[in-house]
Amino acid sequence: MSMIQMFEKPLGMRDTFPAIYEKLENVRKTGRNYLRAHGYEFIKTPTVEYYDTIGKASAIYDASLFKLVDSQGNTLVLRPDMTTPIARVATSKLLKEKIPLRLAYFANVFRAQETEGGRPAEFDQMGIELIGDASVYADAEVILTAAGLMKEFSVPSFKLTIGHAGILQSILNSYTDTDAQAEELRILLVQKNFVGFEEAVLAFELPTMKTQSLLQFIEEASNFLSLSQIEKYVTKNDALLYMKELEVLLTEAGLTDEIAFDFTLASHMNYYTGMLFEVFAAGSGFPIGNGGRYDGLLHSFGQTVGATGFGLRVDRLLEVLPKEFEQESATLVLFEQGAYTKALTKANALRAQGQRVTLQAKASLTNEAAFTAGFSEVVVVGQED
Amino acid sequence: MSVLTIAMPKGRIFEEAYELLIQAGFNLPAEMDMSRKLMLEIPEENIRFILAKPMDVPVYVEHGVADIGIAGKDVLLEQGRTVHELLDLKISTCYIASAGLPNTTMNEIAPRIATKYPEIATKYYKGIGEQVEIIELNGSIELAPMIGLADRIVDIVSTGRTLKENGLVEYEHITDVSSRLIANPVSYRLKGERITDLVRRLKPIVNERVDV
Repeated sequence: MSMIQMFEKPLGMRDTFPAIYEKLENVRKTGRNYLRAHGYEFIKTPTVEYYDTIGKASAIYDASLFKLVDSQGNTLVLRPDMTTPIARVATSKLLKEKIPLRLAYFANVFRAQETEGGRPAEFDQMGIELIGDASVYADAEVILTAAGLMKEFSVPSFKLTIGHAGILQSILNSYTDTDAQAEELRILLVQKNFVGFEEAVLAFELPTMKTQSLLQFIEEASNFLSLSQIEKYVTKNDALLYMKELEVLLTEAGLTDEIAFDFTLASHMNYYTGMLFEVFAAGSGFPIGNGGRYDGLLHSFGQTVGATGFGLRVDRLLEVLPKEFEQESATLVLFEQGAYTKALTKANALRAQGQRVTLQAKASLTNEAAFTAGFSEVVVVGQED
Repeated sequence: MSVLTIAMPKGRIFEEAYELLIQAGFNLPAEMDMSRKLMLEIPEENIRFILAKPMDVPVYVEHGVADIGIAGKDVLLEQGRTVHELLDLKISTCYIASAGLPNTTMNEIAPRIATKYPEIATKYYKGIGEQVEIIELNGSIELAPMIGLADRIVDIVSTGRTLKENGLVEYEHITDVSSRLIANPVSYRLKGERITDLVRRLKPIVNERVDV
């Protein structure tokens, strides 16, 4: 270990400088207004939670949790996501007051520190949870809200990919001979290892019809523009009817170009029971966010009501925001010796008009050019004028 | 249409993969000036190649600065990065195996394994119920058992000649390796059509080559 230098921050931690801070604040404000306008109420939970409850129930891999120990010897985690703490609050308290719940959050979450760059250990997430409504309308609302939020931020090119855990499971089950085979294939899909999927299918030595169907499925099922394309793989079942209903609702709401269906979409957490989706945008190499129906998580907290929601990674969202989102003007009032009162009056007058005004004594500046560079307007107030 | 960036490993794999792309009907110049350039623009196809160390290809692809790339399965297994593995190109095929001096058993208390692939080696021995100590080396792994640094090595084997020449024998076949076409998850969505088209055109060629 090398000695820690005075300027260093812990691995994976970042400072937020004024320019980024404002951008973040803008995103927070825009998002908050949008979500509140859609009936969501904001909520805050503790930064630290128990590992045995939140840590274990969370969708985040165990190795990615930021762990600590409290003074009683309990293992704690810095919250890895907001969905799990919200499930805790909802099941223990809020659901007793009102069903369904529409909750929203904007909060920093944490991941285990990683040595490679580009993987912050702390970042902001914004999202919603709709708890206590198991209907297709709730899922449609969540997808529409995610898309609406991306539009509200004027993200130029984004895409939502929607899948269904139940449909995938029924396809895997019906074209394999054992549950173990189906599970092996599901794990390969979680890893997005299409090559491994094909190899495994061939290695199972299934009847030709099953093998052919699975190979064709893996070739085309990750990019369906319409639901009808999946029908040849599944016998009519509730999940398929559900997705059809969902597609109709989304189409009627005007969301068609931005969505695609991917029935190979699988999550490593088996608490995703129904519809699940991912959000992508040009400009970030990583997904912006994801969501889905997670009734299974509520089960682990002892409730059987449905729950659905999504979360966006604000740090990645910032990468894809168009430039005009961040503009702001600022005025500098520089005063010379003896002109303080006059300058103050001037500054306050400008502030009353809603401008951002910095008041600064000229004599204190060592490098005037560098100081004034960040302002859109500079007013110098001297004694004479 | 935005440019498709392809990360390629330098050297022999580049040439083989380049040949595959030409066979798949991509309009690429037959002679490539392979001097010291790290980036090659192909305006005719709206493609840009970036040339990287084989170990680094998944890094470029995972971070999304390259949309797709060609990487060895060994590197993918070792690094475990979040990329889509789309197609087995079936070029530069070899395998990963453990090897050591003939007729030796591993140290019972603390068996030592020298390797370039600490992840793969750890996972393999864990899988067969052995707890081992890993010594990471960067090359000439065969030296380790010869001079007593390790009981076994875990390394890439293509013909087995290097092992033989150094008096080592192969013990366990761990996994097969070949070059894979990988994609960034976001590019896979936003440039999905171009990427699926590429896979569709490459697939028959790859399979045909192997059957011959």
